[in-house]
Amino acid sequence: MNNNSVLKRLVSNPDFSRLLILILMFTLTAVLQRNFFAMKSIVRNINSFTPLILLTMGQAVVILSGGLDLSVGTALSLMTCVLTSVMKEGVPITGFFALAVAFAVAMAIGAVNGFGIGYLRIPPVIVTFATSFIWLGIALFLRPTPGGETVDWFQAFYKIRNIETAPAFLKAFGEIIPPALILVLLGCVLWWVISRTKTGRYIYAVGSNSQSAYETGINTAWVQMRACMINSVFILLAALFFVGQNRSGDARMGDPLTLKAIAAAVVGGIALTGGRGSVYFALIGALIFSFVSKIIFFANIPNAFQTLFGGVIVIVAIAGSQVYTLSSRRAMEESKLT
Amino acid sequence: MTVLEATGIRKHFGGVVALSNANLTCRQGRITGLLGANGSGKSTMSKIITGVYSADAGEIKYNGNPVRYRSPNEARTAGVAMVFQNLSLVADLTVWQNIVLGAEPKLGLFLNNRAAMTLCREIVDQLLPGLDVRKMVHELNPGEMQIVEIAKALSEDPKLLILDEPTAALEQAQVKSLFDTMRALVDKGVAIVFTSHRLWEVMEICDDVVIFRNGANVANVDFTKDVKDPEKIVNYITGEAGKARIEKTRRTGGDEIVLRVNNLNHGRFLKNIDFELKRGEILGIGGLAGQGQHELMLALAGNYPGVSCDVELNGEKIRLNRPANAIRNSILLVPGDRQLEGLFLGHSVFTNIIFPKLGLRAQPLFTPEKKYRQETQEVIDALAIVTYNLDMPVNSLSGGNQQKVVVGKWLSFDTNVLLLADPAKGVDVGAKRDLYEYIVSQVKENKMSVILYASDSEELIEHCDRLMIMYEGQIVAILEGDDINDDTIVATSMRVEIGSGK
Repeated sequence: MNNNSVLKRLVSNPDFSRLLILILMFTLTAVLQRNFFAMKSIVRNINSFTPLILLTMGQAVVILSGGLDLSVGTALSLMTCVLTSVMKEGVPITGFFALAVAFAVAMAIGAVNGFGIGYLRIPPVIVTFATSFIWLGIALFLRPTPGGETVDWFQAFYKIRNIETAPAFLKAFGEIIPPALILVLLGCVLWWVISRTKTGRYIYAVGSNSQSAYETGINTAWVQMRACMINSVFILLAALFFVGQNRSGDARMGDPLTLKAIAAAVVGGIALTGGRGSVYFALIGALIFSFVSKIIFFANIPNAFQTLFGGVIVIVAIAGSQVYTLSSRRAMEESKLT
Repeated sequence: MTVLEATGIRKHFGGVVALSNANLTCRQGRITGLLGANGSGKSTMSKIITGVYSADAGEIKYNGNPVRYRSPNEARTAGVAMVFQNLSLVADLTVWQNIVLGAEPKLGLFLNNRAAMTLCREIVDQLLPGLDVRKMVHELNPGEMQIVEIAKALSEDPKLLILDEPTAALEQAQVKSLFDTMRALVDKGVAIVFTSHRLWEVMEICDDVVIFRNGANVANVDFTKDVKDPEKIVNYITGEAGKARIEKTRRTGGDEIVLRVNNLNHGRFLKNIDFELKRGEILGIGGLAGQGQHELMLALAGNYPGVSCDVELNGEKIRLNRPANAIRNSILLVPGDRQLEGLFLGHSVFTNIIFPKLGLRAQPLFTPEKKYRQETQEVIDALAIVTYNLDMPVNSLSGGNQQKVVVGKWLSFDTNVLLLADPAKGVDVGAKRDLYEYIVSQVKENKMSVILYASDSEELIEHCDRLMIMYEGQIVAILEGDDINDDTIVATSMRVEIGSGK
């Protein structure tokens, strides 16, 4: 009896449908992709999923706080350009300088977006659409064409084996646990810590009902600004990965990721109205999204239709979980009656 | 001992004077009732004390020291807490998270959730035992939300507690336990300011009563010394010598049946609803709060496409699958939440009143603006809506006048059935009387039949010709004539509870 009701509660949870979709997509990909379970392709998959996962988690934090960030992609590009401009090849210490500068830039990006959203109360879509061009402008100024220098050890964010001077045990460790996975885990830990502080609670409160939160004495503008800065940290993690992978900066590389991150967050159950959803499930949304593009790639769908199919599948996924939520709620209510 | 003394408070918003010269004194260990029509400045006064607004002139002394709070938070830190009239809860957090919101207990850098939950359980258990503090607020009913709101104010150990219409959403039993808690607080030395539109509540709980009219004090009554005379107080509030109660005359109604509802079902909310509405009667819906009354109203207004029922209007079968259908058949709804469901708040009185007409009747291609404005003016006159002109945004009117606008938008339709969901909620005594007088006169002339749902049973007793009692989505009794009295209503609402063995 008790067991039964626990199961029922689990099944009626809308997040359960997302897990089901994830499992479905995972299975489909496993069937379609040859050597899916080979270490090499696992690592390759993780590497190709990581940037979107990080950006989605960051975006989720902003959306939860009642905002929306359309400047994620260009902010990412800008950070890669900053990193590769500060670093000098062959001078390892410049890597740390680059980290420090990029962190400062990330905080500034978050602060500017947050200032516009929180303090100036301009609609988030407009603020971040405008700032996205500012980030792009600066990035193009720094790096009109892709390129730049990196230090050797920066590859630690992508593949430790590529660093010639790295000790053998680190190389071996990097083969078992890819750095990309560590970056994602870092993101999860970051949110885990934040969600246990006032900031985490207030992000939900402000996103859900900012008037109430304000009347309760919460500094809502500052909370939204903090949410944007947390987002910036996630973007920075993604930038580190990109620079480690490509060993260059590119002012236009982030563009396509902006809307994908928003869509993935929605697939993961983040309500665009704010205050509802979980950052971890945003991660699952990003995974679903990534598997979908894999499936489309492997299913031999003509190039011209891939984007179209991607869009359709995302809509089906969102609508599906919506229908699932409604029907399971109805089933719950019916069962309460009897 | 005087806890709070506000003297000569003045406040205007644009050209509207909300408070002209208002005074309020609260003493330790006493409950001060704040009475007045909507728009008389009660809420403004409370908000000035707690720092939501700042006064244009006047002085506030708290414990003898002049103070001027710049935000509700500052007031709260000083021990002045307020429960707002419109709920200030965050729907996507749990009950306990809401109660401690803004003042979370901490363990170092992190939140101390266990301590917070224990604290909240203690407070909630006083007010509403059995409410699970881990529930999300959006799962609660309005009464429970109000309780959480009060618990939130109590969690900070206030010295002065301002309750702005806390009972509007509560049912009888919840009001009782709220009053018990208020008395316990007063015994501990807290001063309470209490506002309510329900006179009997103020009579029951308050030690002092301060009455506002048009932004100034008109009377202070000390119930510990003076006689409790409701008629006198109503006179103070309205400023006219009117009767507190309309004379009870139950109309028997004709035998002609306007609306016949058979076997109406909607999910778990409504089960096998059967009733008949006669021409020229007011049929009430009563019972404990949340037994499907609200859903029944919405179903009749065509808000549930999936509803299954057999409905005959004047002997003809109709379908209630869309609001537009109901309106075409002249079944018109005055919804319970006027701000959310009844009005376009930012738009003018004119737009609000004329809008249904534009949408639903065959109209000429170009709107005859002049004619419409004249029609609107007629509606305003008929209902005595107090507005500066037709183009005032409707949210600048007082609650009572807003409600009149909601009713007014249906006036130009030939009404068969008017559905009134809690029409007097948050409406002052004067406006309430105007509204009911108008409706009763229309009913008397056989112009319409009314189905009335009110959370306040006084209203039902006063106006209904017959009264249906609902319980768990079913109609369990229909009371008539002298059976419509407080005791029978409560007994019928409760007897079912015992009878069904739950």
